[in-house]
Amino acid sequence: MISKLLLFLSIAGIFFSAGVYAQQTHKTSQTSEKIRGARFIPYPNYTGKPYLYDKFLMGEIELADGTRISNLGLSYSTYRDELIYYNSAISAQIVIDKISLNGFTIREPNGNSRHFSRQYCGEYMHDHSYFELLSKGTISLLAYRKVNLEPCNTYYSKSGMAYGPAYSYFLYAQEKGYTPVNPTRNSLLSKFSKTNQKIVRKLLRKNGIVIADESGFVEAWNLIREKEIEPIF
Amino acid sequence: MIKKFNVKRIIIVLLLFWANGGQAQGKEHITLFTDRDIYTSGETILFNVIVPSGEGSAMININLINTHGKIICSVNKKISNDQANGFIYLPDSMKTDTYLLCSSTRENPELTVKELFICNRFAGLIETTTVLRAKDIAPLVEKPVNELNIEGISKSYKAREKVKTTLRLPANFLTNIKDRLFVAVVESTPGYNSQTFHMKSGKKKQNIFGKEGIVVDGYVKDPGTGALFNRGCIFLSVPDSIPWLDYLITGEDGYFHFQMKDYYGEVPVVVQGFDPEKKKLLKISLNQTDSIKEGVPAYESRTIPIEIQKRIGNSIEATTMRKIFDCQEISFSNPQVKKRHEYPFYGVPTETVRPALFIDLPDFTEISRELLPGVKFRAFNRIPTLNILNPATLNYFNDPPLVLLNGIPVQDLNVIKNMGSKDIDRIEICRRERFYGDLAFPGVVAIYSSKQVNKILPESDELIKLNLDAIQPDGYLNKSKEHIQNEPDLRKVLLWEPGIKVKESITLDFETSDIKGSFKVVVRGITRDGEVIYNEQSFEVN
Repeated sequence: MISKLLLFLSIAGIFFSAGVYAQQTHKTSQTSEKIRGARFIPYPNYTGKPYLYDKFLMGEIELADGTRISNLGLSYSTYRDELIYYNSAISAQIVIDKISLNGFTIREPNGNSRHFSRQYCGEYMHDHSYFELLSKGTISLLAYRKVNLEPCNTYYSKSGMAYGPAYSYFLYAQEKGYTPVNPTRNSLLSKFSKTNQKIVRKLLRKNGIVIADESGFVEAWNLIREKEIEPIF
Repeated sequence: MIKKFNVKRIIIVLLLFWANGGQAQGKEHITLFTDRDIYTSGETILFNVIVPSGEGSAMININLINTHGKIICSVNKKISNDQANGFIYLPDSMKTDTYLLCSSTRENPELTVKELFICNRFAGLIETTTVLRAKDIAPLVEKPVNELNIEGISKSYKAREKVKTTLRLPANFLTNIKDRLFVAVVESTPGYNSQTFHMKSGKKKQNIFGKEGIVVDGYVKDPGTGALFNRGCIFLSVPDSIPWLDYLITGEDGYFHFQMKDYYGEVPVVVQGFDPEKKKLLKISLNQTDSIKEGVPAYESRTIPIEIQKRIGNSIEATTMRKIFDCQEISFSNPQVKKRHEYPFYGVPTETVRPALFIDLPDFTEISRELLPGVKFRAFNRIPTLNILNPATLNYFNDPPLVLLNGIPVQDLNVIKNMGSKDIDRIEICRRERFYGDLAFPGVVAIYSSKQVNKILPESDELIKLNLDAIQPDGYLNKSKEHIQNEPDLRKVLLWEPGIKVKESITLDFETSDIKGSFKVVVRGITRDGEVIYNEQSFEVN
């Protein structure tokens, strides 16, 4: 009799699961936001790197309407300030329309993420540009990772042209706008009033921060931001 | 023997459990409330719909159908906090008859139907003094809940009297109900109660619920064999100054669906189906809005009581007076729509040409030759071709570009062949190879014309045009015009508050109008278990 019960329960189980399966197998052809862009045309081959990374890395984009699309192979062209993605369905490298994006995030192989947002910096640039967010807060530290193609010594490059970085850094507050800053101690101090400069100097000295490169500069700025010392715009 | 008995008992318990489950689902119905049961043409039906908790669809469809099942008006509303509130304007052309107001979602295949009597305000009750009432149906009866206590309502009020009433809810009851209540003060018709009942929808239960907007769906077939077509490319375009296009590739089931997010009012839509391999012409068919599967209910004719006939006569006069004094019952609140598209789906054009700024050119061949840089249009042997110069290689693309007419993709170039300068407002060209999702276009030529595209692009098996009733914008009831004393106040709905926040004591203020007769205060809400609760109190205006 127990076997009969087990048989009944198993039939009931199959019946229920079949119902669930029937609902799940209905083919849905849900449309999603489409990425818009133009075919990528490779740049001239000169010495130097026109891209942030040599290869495509996985990342996420945020469209202008807030939709996020992840797991895309992305490459950021620092030379043209454009984002290229690889569409595996049609095997094409596509430059995503800048106007259609709010920003993007690239995941490095070591697990770190670098976030770029599209912003308009009318005072210093003609068009919308991708800025890397180095430090986020009410006042953010942004980097514009521009690479220029410039004439160079033929000892360096046979063609006499090379891609060279021309990064620029900005402090950005939504109400106050942008102020350019160089990743040096003096440039950083110049962004504060005389009284605050003393505090900043003391703060950097006490914490043993030396601004020798970008990472030291970001570390110094993060410390200043934590202490809520206001810069001058 | 004991074992046998136990097994039987277990089976009975299991069957009961099953049966109960089925009943519990059956209880999950849409409930529908309208401001009145009898209307005259030219008036507006206000409705409040409560959907079961956990409803998958974010949209509700309300159809007004006649006794033969023909849809007269259709409205789509967004569901918010398990409720939807909207209105249906009754055209003056409606004939005196019984109509059915049907509410349904895509998830719930069961319609909640309410019968309404609508009287043409010009014909009145001259032709008939009988009303058709649905028979052989199981009417739904809502039982009033005493906890929704309406205090301070007198038995009668004078016209244009200010009324203050309080809705009191016991403290322990507050935790049992959801945080929004619906309150209305409306004219009632004692002696005439519309029936509300359930009927089966003609639609199958859909898995595509429309969580974000209106769903346009259908099937694509091979017209030769009648078989559903696999890998058909379906375009849905919305012609506009900045056009929008969506596409999808069908599966083996030939089914396609699009969600139209954040579109309000009436939206012109064009649906097209193409075979990507260009071997076959396809036939597309759209799924219709809800129909009643069981057919319309059976009706029986009943004579309208003299008292009700008088009230209908007064109502017609009131409606006419309201029309004369241009008293609008409903005002729209403009939906806060996000800026949808900053630029067309095909990209920012590399060139924009306005032929009107140049000498008149008779056809598109001449326009392409004289005005369009890098665009080659030739119409030899009655087979026109169009190619775009690739700026990267300085060769023409092998494949033709995407050609759009007012944002609608055009396959047959004969359509644009004879378009001259006078027919075209502007031409936008994208000369690079463009990508839209997984679609690649070797350049784009978008022609914008103020001429009727309907005539240029006729409907066919593979092209369907429709004016889609998208989401109805929220409306609110206009208040009484206190400052205009010489104008009649002929409001039949004195208060319509769909989203009153629940608290122990809720004060309701309203003013009676010049309409005399019976009115009622109605309160509706939803318990945390998803059950609809309701109470009402009547009063007279003398």
